[in-house]
Amino acid sequence: MFNSFFKAFTNLFKKPQTIKYPATPIEKDKDFRGLIEYEQEECIYCLKCEKACPPGAILFVSVENPPNNEKNKKGLKYHYNPYLCIYCSECVRACPKPNEALWQSNKKPPIGVKEDEVNGVL
Amino acid sequence: MKKTIDIPLGSQHISLLEPVRFKFECENEKIIGVDSDVGFVHRGIEHACTTKFKFDGIGYVVARICGLCAITHSLTYTAGIEKLLGGEITQKAKYLRILLLELDRIHSHMLCLSHTCENAGFEAMFMRIMGDREIIMEIQELLTGNRVQFDFISIGGVNRDLDASRAKEIIIKLEIVKQKVLGYIDVFTNNWSLSLKFQGVGALSLDEAYRFNAIGPLARASGLNIDVRNEIDYLPFFELGFVMQTHTDGDINARNLVRLNEILNSLEMCNNTLEGLPEGDIFTKLKGKPKGEVLVRLEAPRGELMYYIKGGGKSMLERVRIKTPTFSSIPAFSHIFVGENYADAPAILASFDPCLACTAK
Repeated sequence: MFNSFFKAFTNLFKKPQTIKYPATPIEKDKDFRGLIEYEQEECIYCLKCEKACPPGAILFVSVENPPNNEKNKKGLKYHYNPYLCIYCSECVRACPKPNEALWQSNKKPPIGVKEDEVNGVL
Repeated sequence: MKKTIDIPLGSQHISLLEPVRFKFECENEKIIGVDSDVGFVHRGIEHACTTKFKFDGIGYVVARICGLCAITHSLTYTAGIEKLLGGEITQKAKYLRILLLELDRIHSHMLCLSHTCENAGFEAMFMRIMGDREIIMEIQELLTGNRVQFDFISIGGVNRDLDASRAKEIIIKLEIVKQKVLGYIDVFTNNWSLSLKFQGVGALSLDEAYRFNAIGPLARASGLNIDVRNEIDYLPFFELGFVMQTHTDGDINARNLVRLNEILNSLEMCNNTLEGLPEGDIFTKLKGKPKGEVLVRLEAPRGELMYYIKGGGKSMLERVRIKTPTFSSIPAFSHIFVGENYADAPAILASFDPCLACTAK
C-alpha cells in the first residue's frame, strides 16, 4: 500500500512518455525508410527499378520532350508516385548504380493536398 | 415462449480491436450458444496474389495482411518460395530472420496483455505495457527502418545488415524490457483484477484443446505441447535456446502467464542471436521460377500459420492459400464461451488474442 502511494507520488515528477509533436520534432533515424530519390543524369534507363517495384510506383513513360541523356534512346521520363510507394527499397537493390542514380532517403512524402487547401480553403 | 435472449457483441464494440461479430444466446446471465462471423475485413489478398503481383513481390503483399504478424507472413511465404527454387540461405540471414520473428512475437504478446488489462478495467497497466512496447518498436525501427511494415525479408535472405554498435544498443534495450516483463509477471500473478479474478474463467481442458484443434498460446495454456518451432528444422530455433512454455490450468490467467513466459524466452533467444551472430553474407541470389507445390508452416504469435503455394514455372503463381492461426482456433473459441457469464465475454475474447485482419484476409 505504502509502496504504491510512493510510486504514484514519484510519477508526478516524471517526464511524460509521449512527445509534444509538432512543438517537439520527432527524431528520425538516418536509416529510416523514406522517399526514393532519383538523379536523372546518372540513370542508364535499364528499367530494372520499374520491373522490381511491387506496387508499380515507378514508371518510365515516353514523352515528347525527353530528358537530355545520351543513354535515353527511347525518349522516356522517370515518374515516381510517393503515395503508391511502399518504401521497400526493392528498386534501389535492383539498380545497377545504387546511391548514384537511385537511393532511399529518410524524408517523409509531401502531404497529399496543395498548401493553400490545407485548412479547408478550397 | 422463448426463454433465451440473443445479445450481439460486435461488429463494432468497445472491447474489440478489430471487427468481429458474436451472437450470444443467453439464459439469464449464462451463455448457452454462440454464433460468430469473422469476415468483416476481407480484402481478397489470396486472389490478388495470383492475379496482380509477380511471385517476387508477393512477400511484400502478404506482409500487409496483418500489422502484428507482418514478419511471420512474409517469412512463411518466402520460405515456401525458397523451397520451390531449391536454394539455401546463409546462416546469418537465418539468425536475423529469427531475431525479427521473436521481436514480432514479443510486441504482439505485449499488445495482447495490455488489451487483457484494458478489458479487466485496469487502464493504468494497459498504458504501462503499451508504453514499454515502444522499446520493442524502436528496436524494430533500428533493424528494419520502419515501425510496422518491416519489409525486411526477401527471397534469398534479408534486406538489411546489422552492425556491432547497433547490436550492442539493442542488447541494452532488451535488458530494459526484460526487467519490465519480470515486473509484469509479479502483477499478473498477485494482482486481484488480473489474476485471481480470472482464475477458472474461460477454461479449456487438455482434452477439449485437443478435440477442438486449439493452437498457439491457447493450446499451450491447456497443457497441449504444440509449437511449430518444435517441429520444423529450416530455422535453428533450438540452437538459440527455444524452450516450449506450457501451463496446465487453461484459463485466462494461464494464457496470460504462458504469453509472459514466452516473452521471456523470446528475449533470451534475441539475446543469443545478437551475441552469436555469425559472419557472412545476408543475401544469396536465387534464380528460376517456382514450379510445383509446397506447404510451409511457421509459428506466428497466435499459433501455426500455414501457406500452400503452387507455381507453374511462370512469374504468376497458380494458387496461394493462407491458413491463419485465429481461423483454426474459432471452434475452440466458440466452445469456451458456452457456460460462462456474459459479463466475462470481453475478457475471454481478449485472452484469445484474435487477429481478424489475418482471418478474413
